[in-house]
Amino acid sequence: MGELRVLFQHRDVPGIENLAVYEQHGGYSALRKALGMTRQQVIDEVKASGVRGRGGAGFPAWIKWNGIPKDERQPHYVLCNADEGEPGTFKDRELMMRLPHQLIEGMIIAGYATLAKVGYIYIRGEYTEPARAMRRAIDEAYQAGYLGKNILGSGVDFDLYIHMGAGSYECGEESAMMSSLMGERGQPRLKFPHAPLPTIAGLWDCPTLINNVETLSCVPAIIRNGGAWYASMGTEKSTGTKIFSVSGHVNKPGNYEVEMGTPLMELLELAGGVKGKLKAVIPGGSSVPILPAEKCEVNLDYESLQAAGTMLGSGGFMVLNDTVCIVRFMRRTAAFYAHESCGKCTPCREGTRWMVKIFDRILAGGGRMEDIDLLLDICDQIDGRSYCGLGDAAAWPIRASIKHYRHEYEYYIQHGHSIVEAQAQAIAV
Amino acid sequence: MAEQELVTIEINGIELQVPKGEMIIESAKRIGVDIPFFCYHPRLGRGQAANCRMCLVEVGTKQPDGSVRMMPKPQTSCSLPASEGLVIYTDTMAIQKARRGILEFLLINHPLDCPICDRGGECPLQNNTLFYGPGVSRFVEEKRHLPKAFPISDYVVLDRERCIHCARCTRFSQEISGDAQLEFLKRGADMMVSTFYDTEFTSRFSGNTIELCPVGALTSRVYRFRARPWDMKSQKSICTRCSNGCNIWLDYRPNRLVRVLGRENEAVNEEWTCDKGKFGHEYVNSDRRLLSPLIRRDGKFVTASWVEAYQLIASRLRQAVEQHGAKSVGAIGGAHLSNEEAYLLQKLMRVAVGTNNIDHRLERNQLPLADNVMLTRFGVPFAQNAIADIEQAKTVFIFGSELVDEQPIVFLRARKAWYRHRAKVVIAYPEVTETELRFDEPLVLRYREGTEAALVNGLIHLLLDSNKAVTDGLSPDDLQALRESVRVYTPEQVAETTGVPVQQLEEAVTLLGEGTVILCGAKVRNHPDHAGLLHALANLTVLTGNAARDNGGLNILLPEVNSHGAADMGVLPDGLPGQAPIGDEEARRRIEQVWGDNLPAEPGFNTHAMLEAAARGQMQVLYIVGEDVAQKYHDPELAQRALENAGFVIVQDLFLTETAQYADVVLPAASVAEKEGTFTNTEGRVQRFWKAFNSPSPEVKPDLNIFAELAVYLGKPIPVFSAEQVMDEIAKVVPAYAACGYEVLPAEGHRVVQGEARLRLTPAAEGAAVV
Amino acid sequence: MSERIQLSDYPRVRRIDEKKPPELRFSPQAVEELERIKQHYPTKRAAMLPALWIAQREYGGYLPPEALMEVAYRLGTSYAVVEGVASFYTMYNKRPVGRVMLEVCTNLTCSICGGYEVLRYLEQKLGIRVGETTPDGQFTLTEVECLNDCGNAPVMQVGNRYVGNLTPEKIDALLEELKQTDQHTVVQLADTVVQCHLSESDRQAIAEALAKSSVSQEVDNG
Repeated sequence: MGELRVLFQHRDVPGIENLAVYEQHGGYSALRKALGMTRQQVIDEVKASGVRGRGGAGFPAWIKWNGIPKDERQPHYVLCNADEGEPGTFKDRELMMRLPHQLIEGMIIAGYATLAKVGYIYIRGEYTEPARAMRRAIDEAYQAGYLGKNILGSGVDFDLYIHMGAGSYECGEESAMMSSLMGERGQPRLKFPHAPLPTIAGLWDCPTLINNVETLSCVPAIIRNGGAWYASMGTEKSTGTKIFSVSGHVNKPGNYEVEMGTPLMELLELAGGVKGKLKAVIPGGSSVPILPAEKCEVNLDYESLQAAGTMLGSGGFMVLNDTVCIVRFMRRTAAFYAHESCGKCTPCREGTRWMVKIFDRILAGGGRMEDIDLLLDICDQIDGRSYCGLGDAAAWPIRASIKHYRHEYEYYIQHGHSIVEAQAQAIAV
Repeated sequence: MAEQELVTIEINGIELQVPKGEMIIESAKRIGVDIPFFCYHPRLGRGQAANCRMCLVEVGTKQPDGSVRMMPKPQTSCSLPASEGLVIYTDTMAIQKARRGILEFLLINHPLDCPICDRGGECPLQNNTLFYGPGVSRFVEEKRHLPKAFPISDYVVLDRERCIHCARCTRFSQEISGDAQLEFLKRGADMMVSTFYDTEFTSRFSGNTIELCPVGALTSRVYRFRARPWDMKSQKSICTRCSNGCNIWLDYRPNRLVRVLGRENEAVNEEWTCDKGKFGHEYVNSDRRLLSPLIRRDGKFVTASWVEAYQLIASRLRQAVEQHGAKSVGAIGGAHLSNEEAYLLQKLMRVAVGTNNIDHRLERNQLPLADNVMLTRFGVPFAQNAIADIEQAKTVFIFGSELVDEQPIVFLRARKAWYRHRAKVVIAYPEVTETELRFDEPLVLRYREGTEAALVNGLIHLLLDSNKAVTDGLSPDDLQALRESVRVYTPEQVAETTGVPVQQLEEAVTLLGEGTVILCGAKVRNHPDHAGLLHALANLTVLTGNAARDNGGLNILLPEVNSHGAADMGVLPDGLPGQAPIGDEEARRRIEQVWGDNLPAEPGFNTHAMLEAAARGQMQVLYIVGEDVAQKYHDPELAQRALENAGFVIVQDLFLTETAQYADVVLPAASVAEKEGTFTNTEGRVQRFWKAFNSPSPEVKPDLNIFAELAVYLGKPIPVFSAEQVMDEIAKVVPAYAACGYEVLPAEGHRVVQGEARLRLTPAAEGAAVV
Repeated sequence: MSERIQLSDYPRVRRIDEKKPPELRFSPQAVEELERIKQHYPTKRAAMLPALWIAQREYGGYLPPEALMEVAYRLGTSYAVVEGVASFYTMYNKRPVGRVMLEVCTNLTCSICGGYEVLRYLEQKLGIRVGETTPDGQFTLTEVECLNDCGNAPVMQVGNRYVGNLTPEKIDALLEELKQTDQHTVVQLADTVVQCHLSESDRQAIAEALAKSSVSQEVDNG
């Protein structure tokens, strides 16, 4: 357990973003090996590795890879989700800026395994620096014959295009991303069981494999060292490693790759420890329920965090010390979801804005006691009723914050200011 | 209809078998379970649907061991297809709470406009709130404010605050009508419906968005604040603004038309209307309607009684026939009359007056019946295909028509063929058309005005050369003769003549294969060599294998509401009822037997000949029925001269039109809302319309009654008790209309055209526009 | 707020003639870039987002109605649909903005690490409120959602660059730097995004096409 650099193995090598340096450190050897395997063998390695979607859903990646039809009646696509929008998460940023070739190698292998000749990387519009790094790396890869026609003489073709977004968190949702890539408003599409899965009918109704940057970046290592090797790390159900983006009140914020199952406190130590007194941790990005300090003796893997009442999510690890007012923090969270709601479905569109208005009223001093239960009820009315996961994601943090910090809400409503200020004053005095 | 696979599902404990893939919301209707919804609409795509979340149901799947595994979240029944083993619960506590929650959310920003909202009383939001909603709102914040009651066109008012973002109007605009002028702007709670930068909503079908909108966000500017739904009665009618024959509802209050709604008829207009029809019936209410007969005395019109008018007309008619012969009397009109009235008009003129000078056509093409190309080649007078069949076409060829304007509902079908069934689209027109903008990259052949025949013959030339022509059943001599005659229409020559590049001609030929529906509009109908052009088009139809198919064929689309019916009823100088030629012995005998009278044998003047004769002063009486000839005739100057110089002009109309200014007697006629009868639309479908309310004055009569009464004054009474009785006679006289008696006429109407296509070819007319 | 509004109080809405193509203002470079980008996708519509970025660059950093009309024309869609897409995404400016846009993140981590303080500091320093532009047109100040560089909180996006770990001194220096350089303007951001779409072979093809058309221009003129 503890820090374990698989994706970040060569992160600190100067110039690793350049092709020559990357090749020196074993770069593109996984691609060579994969091209010598059959497609099914590649998929089987991914299955053996047990790697789960690193974007936040935690869905076993091999099911998607294996779900792509094995025939070529239609063109197949690989879509890399680089629309990192989950607040607190910045791992894909570093992966693209420091290790672009690792991602490219992963995508080519994915394309080979799923009979795709075209891959798109959907990068959010704000990420111009990572996009430039990817652009340089893709041009280098084309130059060296790793992309384009007849890769390394194998007869396999793969073209990789960058598609920049323009500012929408909802486009990180896979069906909304497909809408956005096809030139529409970034609103999600019907999902299974109402419509076929993207692996059957995705972009332009063709089979599409959609994976997160981190997931695809795991692939070279898995192919190089074998799926079993990857599965030997981490826990039984949460194999391998995970990059946590630690930020907030810590001394050394940054991306840390740790083995799955590492104790939460150990990650905190890696990040230089808490600044001040630990109040709470949000381990997986703003969408996951908040974890108060008392509950932080927990291991970082999908199952353990779920049992503790929160989720692994994207790994956006935000640390809050006791200067943070939960009510204000949750207001900002609610405002984020209200701003990013795509507006398609009624509960998310109306409910998120309503919650912000209630919060604003509480923060302005006009709160009523019944507002707390009203917020809980609104969360219940959004969660599970919305068209896509953004509605659920909007409801969970608010609900969890009320569950664990109801007294803060009550204090704010009764006194018109935050309990944190009162405590600070008390300490000052 | 192919056999559909059935699956077994369970809804609320009741097991039923439904077609696989049917939406659960429809399956539930089968057992009487009504699931509430807002955004669902069976004709609009599912892509943007399932967003109101009102139709949520709890879903589970039957496991092999018999247990039911419920899905963690409720699902929208409007987008969930039925599959084997689905278990649905529509009324659990969780669903009730979900519905209450959704309605609460919808109502937090929805303004309390019910007292001033036109939708009140027929509003799903009101109804669903009453049944499923919270009684009290918990929302104490400020509602959103947006521009209210903003007119986005002459017909539609947009109230953004009321919008519940169901996306029905945007889906209609983008999928069905294709103009994509309505779209959502912004996102989240700021989302609002808009046209581009608040510019005018110029869609020809904007009225449908008003009917689709579940709330009062899109309302009719014409109907605004006019009535409440419970104050109105509805009557079934047919739109009179073009020949498509869309089914409509006339909503009315005592003796006043309040609004027009679309009526469902899968075979014709599905449930859509166009703006011409929906907002174009205000004339019925106009206070300029004629309220009594008028007689010109000393150069001015004075009100007269019907008796006076009839006596004057009868005496002038008798005088004209006695002194100058039956050739000096003529009637023009009939395309706006019902079938029954048109039939009586020609019977009146033939039996009571004794002349064949009757014609309903105002356009340039007034060829003799024997030269009706469609009849001689395909056995149908105008159109081979039913409107509904256009949907199944593999290629739609829109020739010489601004279809969106001329035949809106036919256009919607053509667009449906392209949008839903991926038909190819070829458009031929001299200028940029709105129609071509509604498709994605159709093949547009922009030919020079007047070179239609060269274009078609050029396509035939290419078709024959390419060996793709369908020649089974054709006589080799015919084929050879045609080949010879189109030899001169080489691609290069045609390109030079018409201005259409060779490459486009070649592409057109590849697209025009089996399953091509050719829709011909005004440019074809008004072509100087109409017969020659039609023969060429007929050749093209035969050679592309579309002579006798459901989803392929040649169609001449007609201008007026009952152009087809008027022709069928024999309002033609050389055509008897049933479009039988005047020389057809068998037809004459049959008709004379029913009428008990002899028919005049010599063919009469067509409209043009009548007008020319009148202009020369040779017409003693001109009877103009329901047409503003002075303005609408294709040669208005001739028409005006004719009216000037005719001896006695009778005008029968609703208004004092330009033509009526020349009249000696004006007779006030009833509108479509004030009488009953049938119309035959452009595809040959006979449809009934019913009387909604009484005419604005007791002196206004339906044309039917006027003809019958006039016949009395002429000494040859035609007993008429009702339109139904007239139709019964028509059924005896016109074989095709035998099944049109009111007792037996089906609700969706009855197509009276049935033709034997003759697989022959006609050589191209010599020298036809190879300029 | 219940004034009696008559429908006739509203001015008559402007009518657009759909049959007339809009005025086209893309430079030859932009036209070629869009053509190459369209080749990346099986449909023209999919080039919508890159096309809007090109338009934002060509029209001086924002998207007036003319820009949307030109994009619609070049992609074969209706004007309303393009407006719908453009207004959905936050990075397309519907109104003119300053030369440089200062986008301050005030989301979760930044909010507890000084993001709001940065915002207030900038408001005070520039003399404007959030959402406004300085009178000289240099800077527009906006508040944005998570930029996902939380390790360097508080973070600000300036055109095609993130600046993190902001302090008043750093902000002062940055403002001075921005006044001198064109590298991080709104227009430059749009250009950077567009360039990210174009591969080496795309760039070559564009250069060739431009060279050919300028030669033929000379032939026509000469």
